[in-house]
Amino acid sequence: MNASRRAYPLANLFANPGWWLALAVVLILPLTLNSGTLATEVLVYALAVLGCNLLLGYTGLLSFGQGIFFGMGSYTLGILMTRAGLGLPLSVLLALVAGALTAALVGWFAIRQRGTYFVMLTLAFAQMFYFLAYSLPDWTGGDNGLLNIPRPPLSLFGMTLMPLDSPWRFYTLVAVCFLVVFWLLQRVTASVFGRTLLAIRENETRASAVGYDTRRFKLAAFALSGAVTGLAGAFHALMTGIAPLSNIEYHTSEMILVMTVIGGTGNLFASVLGAAFYVLMSDWLSTLWPRWLLLLGLLLIGVSLFMHKGLWGLLQRGWTALRRGRAAAAAPEGAPEGER
Amino acid sequence: MSSNRSGSSAAMPPAASTAPLGGAANADAKGDMNAPPLLDARGVVKRYGKFTALGGVDLRVRAGTVHSVIGPNGAGKTTLFHTLTGTVPITAGTIQFAGHDVTHEPDNVRVRRGIARSFQVTSLFANLDVRENLRLAAQGAHPTGAFDMWHAPGRRREIAELADAILQRLGLTARAGTAAGALSHGQQRRLEVGMALAARPRAIFLDEPTSGMGVDDLDGMKTLIRGLAADHTVLLIEHNMNIVMDISDTVTVMQQGRVLVEGTPAAIRDDDRVRAAYLGNMITGGRA
Repeated sequence: MNASRRAYPLANLFANPGWWLALAVVLILPLTLNSGTLATEVLVYALAVLGCNLLLGYTGLLSFGQGIFFGMGSYTLGILMTRAGLGLPLSVLLALVAGALTAALVGWFAIRQRGTYFVMLTLAFAQMFYFLAYSLPDWTGGDNGLLNIPRPPLSLFGMTLMPLDSPWRFYTLVAVCFLVVFWLLQRVTASVFGRTLLAIRENETRASAVGYDTRRFKLAAFALSGAVTGLAGAFHALMTGIAPLSNIEYHTSEMILVMTVIGGTGNLFASVLGAAFYVLMSDWLSTLWPRWLLLLGLLLIGVSLFMHKGLWGLLQRGWTALRRGRAAAAAPEGAPEGER
Repeated sequence: MSSNRSGSSAAMPPAASTAPLGGAANADAKGDMNAPPLLDARGVVKRYGKFTALGGVDLRVRAGTVHSVIGPNGAGKTTLFHTLTGTVPITAGTIQFAGHDVTHEPDNVRVRRGIARSFQVTSLFANLDVRENLRLAAQGAHPTGAFDMWHAPGRRREIAELADAILQRLGLTARAGTAAGALSHGQQRRLEVGMALAARPRAIFLDEPTSGMGVDDLDGMKTLIRGLAADHTVLLIEHNMNIVMDISDTVTVMQQGRVLVEGTPAAIRDDDRVRAAYLGNMITGGRA
């Protein structure tokens, strides 16, 4: 790595292929999938997984609370659009803010501990928020969730920019937001701040000893993660037209974590891979075999045992082998061997 | 945070980038017996449950001196360093540094006061490269800049230059791009010292910098520490008596969580209690 490279936004895009790969995914999904909703689901979960990766991959925090922020995004958007009658852009923005604030609250408590107790605290919050949502049916619809969330055309200051009535039109909106968020996160993770998070992941004691208030950094990482996850939750509610109780359930946290680990931590594009793999596989396998989650379990065991860098690591290895293979294939010309 | 820092250069680097490793400590008059001590710790007590690791330690360190803390294993030397640098909270007592009461400040705040440390057990960012380790340590003295979420490192030239200067001083320039965890033990020990140096501290706390080092690496480390003494106040925990007696201005001998005796290297060498407690019985760390 060249540490002296100056950071120009555009140069960064070329230096790091992640964003281009994300763009490729955004373009390939409509060409290969028939269902616009399925394609949107991939991007929605990719957003949530990016948020999780920021904590797990870049800061070393294993949070079981991601479902809280996801559900919070869904509920906030649902409440604002059905009860308060706010417009779509503002509702989405406020859902993002709600995700960030909730994450800051959960993080503020959880980062007081490290290791097992940190994980337990996030779990406890996940359960708490679930039952909170369950026991406030006036706000959340309780067991039924918030129904009939509208998806009006996208408009700003009274100008209609784009109708969102078809799944693919909605996909376009989510795709644009996804690419923007990906680019922003790429900047954040490469920034002085992002590199400090890596240091905390590596060795928190030393990070503190050289002068960083590690709690503030972890809290900021939580808030960022919550913002992105809340945004994902808002899009999910818009996509399905409901904000169900299951969005804030512990299972959602678990699913986001599994996608993160399968894709690979510490690389942003890996999150997109993980989400795409999980969403598409579950869509495909669930039609073949109702017990498909068993296969997912096997895969997770495989990743945990043999490929800590997840699918992204596997791709990297494949790419290196391919290049080496090509180099080897090219080499004999330069060094001819005796014929037999 | 208090704004009346007596040594403002401890918080911000001097503008002159040509002498990046000089600075604050040069201004500290070496060995001025009348000047108030840079570090003034009184009655430092540290208990872990029922176990008393430090039973009321007084330590005064004059600016610009090399002050060594020696003592048998388990005497509480490292615990003393932990409390002085803020790595662990103190149970009782007070710690003044450069006129500030830092007793209850966490370690990251004390870095800005001008306190930096190395660890007895090597503690680096093992998967990050050597230059990045030093850059992080240098940036740590200006942690607000580390909240920059928009720009990649490298915009603040003085930090990059400082990291490069320390690389050179450590003799690690050729390994700048290597992951810290992949360095040899001797190189990791030197980087450990460099991490403390990168904060441009007024006082540098070195906890057994030679621990586990082979004979071949010892001279390099000794030269490195001696070089630090030129422009820093150095606190040193060390088992290697050759180094301690050679470069220290003052030696404090600890035993069982207390100060046994303090004096010049010559006085310590000739002290009967010290001989009984420590020097004559180094391996077992036996009790007097």
